[in-house]
Amino acid sequence: MADRTATVTVIFLGIAFAAFFLLPFGGLVDRAVREGNTWDIATSEFAIEALQLSLWTSTVTVVLALVFGTPAAYFLARAQFPGKSLVDGLIDLPIVLPPTVAGVALLTAFGRRGLLGEPIEEWFGFTFGFRTIAVIMAQLLVSAPFYVRAARSGFESVDFQLERVAYTLGASRVRTFFRIVVPQAWPALLAGIVLCWARAMGELGATLIFAGNFQGSTQTMPLAIISAFEGTALGLAGAVALSLILLVVALAVLTVFRLATSAAGRRL
Amino acid sequence: MTLELDIRRRLGAFHYQATIQARHEIVVLFGHSGAGKSLTLQFAAGLMRPDSGRIAIDGVEVFDSARGVNVPPQLRGVGYVVQDLALFPHLTVEQNIAFGVPRAVDSQERVRQLASLLHLEGFERRKPATLSGGQQQRVALARALARDAHLLLLDEPFSALDDALRVDLRRELLRLREELGLTILFVTHDLREAHLLADRIAVFDEGSVLQFGPRDDVFRRPRSGRVARLVGFTNIWKGSVTAVNADRVDLDVAGLAIWARPPVAQLSRGDAVEVMIRAERVNLRREHADPAGTNLFPGRSVEHFAYGNTHQLRFEPEGAGPVVNVEIAARPYEVLGVADRAAWLIELPPEDLHVVPVQREP
Repeated sequence: MADRTATVTVIFLGIAFAAFFLLPFGGLVDRAVREGNTWDIATSEFAIEALQLSLWTSTVTVVLALVFGTPAAYFLARAQFPGKSLVDGLIDLPIVLPPTVAGVALLTAFGRRGLLGEPIEEWFGFTFGFRTIAVIMAQLLVSAPFYVRAARSGFESVDFQLERVAYTLGASRVRTFFRIVVPQAWPALLAGIVLCWARAMGELGATLIFAGNFQGSTQTMPLAIISAFEGTALGLAGAVALSLILLVVALAVLTVFRLATSAAGRRL
Repeated sequence: MTLELDIRRRLGAFHYQATIQARHEIVVLFGHSGAGKSLTLQFAAGLMRPDSGRIAIDGVEVFDSARGVNVPPQLRGVGYVVQDLALFPHLTVEQNIAFGVPRAVDSQERVRQLASLLHLEGFERRKPATLSGGQQQRVALARALARDAHLLLLDEPFSALDDALRVDLRRELLRLREELGLTILFVTHDLREAHLLADRIAVFDEGSVLQFGPRDDVFRRPRSGRVARLVGFTNIWKGSVTAVNADRVDLDVAGLAIWARPPVAQLSRGDAVEVMIRAERVNLRREHADPAGTNLFPGRSVEHFAYGNTHQLRFEPEGAGPVVNVEIAARPYEVLGVADRAAWLIELPPEDLHVVPVQREP
């Protein structure tokens, strides 16, 4: 009797939870269909510009995270040094902090009155604010740690003995890294790339504070949704249309990466 | 191919020190785990750096602390096989072997040669995980030989295999040594394996080489009681020298007068010595064949272990004499009827008794 009650309870909880996740997406689709002008908004210059900006900035962010984060992740996976746990904690910090804090922190470093921002403006007359580069910086700060963490655990799972044997077989450190380490850590690296990219696509708080909200240069999709919702005549209809685009793009990217990851897993 | 190695390294409280030479032979590094055997291979391969000393491969210095030479592992040209083999799991057998082939060499041809040398034909396109333990072992050896290495460093390579496979692979290794003129450093803690493979043996304990020499020297004439224990002597007694003659040394062991053939070490009357004999060298006799006979004394069996192919017994003396461990093969054990009675005459053949002066432990 008690078992049956438990089963019923579990089923009920599961259905309620699933409904909670699915209903909002259903609502989105429902609203988009009923509004009638969704397609027009989705293909408007305002929307296209925001989508393009989001896609290319997040791609650049991922590339930068790969270039700078991969050596760091490998180093953290292999090296033992005093203060390592401190460095670990610092890398995790942006994951734990609200992105708005990251935005404020970026301002204090690279803003016009910032630690490095002020001398840079004095010497070169260059400011980061309201430029696309600021969008990328904001995205990199909040999303790169996701990649570094995943890559690090991927590298840790590769037996160090394999690398040592590769050295005795005449392989340089670089060749060993790309031929022995990366192929085995590849599923973890892919997962890190997806996480990093998704986080960059969704970045709002840090971008809003550090880069501002300017159509064409700093207004990524999340910012455009906020703007449409609050500022324009489009109102909710605009927000719905933009959200739907983002949803479709995210689903497509996620599917591609899932397939790639399982293919990589099979190869091993 | 020759290897000369004379190095030291401190690792915390652990002091490593070894002097070893090898030339067209199998040198077995023998000892308990943590004694420094595997470290020796890492030093030779260039994967770990000694504090001081010198390592030369074929007369070429690859490490010399005095001259600041330290050739990286990539350029040492040695084959290194570790206990868990470290085959590259994402590469096929062929790719694993080809990984070590230098660019200038036709790698397809080289892989074909090695695959045939190690009986791996037909497995070239398989992943290591789909192979048996013995096949994986062969792939690891083929890969280590891919650079035409003539110095092989093998770190307990057969320890994960079952007995039958180990026998095959040991035979294989002896064949490879002949065919390719290899010099091999072979780490093991298995006495039988050490005895089978070794031309020379280095006995390691706590980071130092206690004895390094031809196999039979080490196994029959260990330098000290410590070495004797490590190489499987189970009878090691304290005793003293009562007389020294040209052809015999008289000894007193636990009140029993026995004699031995003169040992290599110089002894004189009154010296404290360790007297040792391997358990399988002790004879059991029913009757007093020769009353004035050699090193015979009565004993009583107090313990018995049956290992199937051999029996191990422990005898306590009736009167003066040491406690003796005896190992006897299954057939003589039954023919003699050892199980039927407890009282036996124990014979210690003088030529099998080994005597060394007691060493002061540092």
